[in-house]
Amino acid sequence: MHIVDGALANPVVIGGAVAAAGGIAIGLKSLDLDRIPTAGVLAASFFVASLIHVPIGPSSVHLILNGLAGLLLGWAAFPALFVGLLLQTVFFGFGGLTVLGVNTVNIALPAVLTWMLFGRLIARGSPVHGAIWGGIGGAFSIAATTGFVAVSLALSGDAFLPAAKLVFFAHIPVMAIEAVLTGFAVLLARKVKPELFIKVATS
Amino acid sequence: MKKLTLICTLILTPLPALAHKVIAGVFPAGEAIEGELGFSNGDMAVDQEVIVYGLDGAELGRTVTDADGFFLFTPTRPVAHTFKADLGAGHVADVTMPADEVADILGVEAEASDPPVLAAPAESGATITVASLSDEERAAIAKIVRDETRPLRREIAAYREHNDLQSILGGIGYIIGLFGIGFYVAARKKMTA
Repeated sequence: MHIVDGALANPVVIGGAVAAAGGIAIGLKSLDLDRIPTAGVLAASFFVASLIHVPIGPSSVHLILNGLAGLLLGWAAFPALFVGLLLQTVFFGFGGLTVLGVNTVNIALPAVLTWMLFGRLIARGSPVHGAIWGGIGGAFSIAATTGFVAVSLALSGDAFLPAAKLVFFAHIPVMAIEAVLTGFAVLLARKVKPELFIKVATS
Repeated sequence: MKKLTLICTLILTPLPALAHKVIAGVFPAGEAIEGELGFSNGDMAVDQEVIVYGLDGAELGRTVTDADGFFLFTPTRPVAHTFKADLGAGHVADVTMPADEVADILGVEAEASDPPVLAAPAESGATITVASLSDEERAAIAKIVRDETRPLRREIAAYREHNDLQSILGGIGYIIGLFGIGFYVAARKKMTA
């Protein structure tokens, strides 16, 4: 999921950086005083989640949690995930500093898309109803991220379809795990602190 | 049903560990350069093509990794060798062996086009002590040392990729600090507004 330094063409890297800067600017604008703690907690969860490796068959995958971040934060997912990615790069060497912009867009833009598509749906109806939509949103954001990663690789010269297939199929287990996780997170939040979502969905 | 089987086989095929970092290293090994290529979780890259470039970007040759992720390349010119491999899905390996190390393997001086590097004075002493040994004996010793240190090298490489609790806590500390600054800025904005 983290593209490393040197794997992408320069225009893609620069384009990613510009898009990420734009997203972060919109995100910071939308981040009011009440939502800073949520953003901080989600940045921290994203930062740590990548260390939890789930062994699947011969390979292993790690959680990303960008769907949950998007559903709770909206555009503010951009700065939160950027901070998480930056620290992962510095502390663990995941990805690289030059591709930070591309990685931010690849992970945060699906989060925002998830929020746009499912943000209203999870806040409506019964908590269980919302949790199901939350689960679908969690899986969708991972699928979108794999698509974005494949597009970044395709723009740098890799053939799109093989790259997309490889990344997509490798992440099917993550999608399943994240769907369950996001679903339960939404269920819990709807029961314990329902205003968490309503605020996001209407703002 | 057919589709389901296809999806299942695709999931179960050994895909490269996408969530991991690529580790690559090169070391002098007798007359050749030995290198290893793999992922930080211990999976080694098998049958992976490695392309070797010189200082000016010209291709010097290609080699393929064996079942343990090791590859061998015999240098012909004493210039810096850069080994590149594309492991797919955004994973690339890029390691360089400096010209003086390559020159040591070949037993000649490094080519002048390279940036000057500090000579290691200790090496001349090492050459004198083994001078009494025959070439075969020296090669045998070198091979034994290589084989003995290989697991160590691997362990060191794995250790370097190891994430300990301190860096995790450090990262979380940074996040708390950053969002604390965010709070400060937001609070100031509210006060002035």
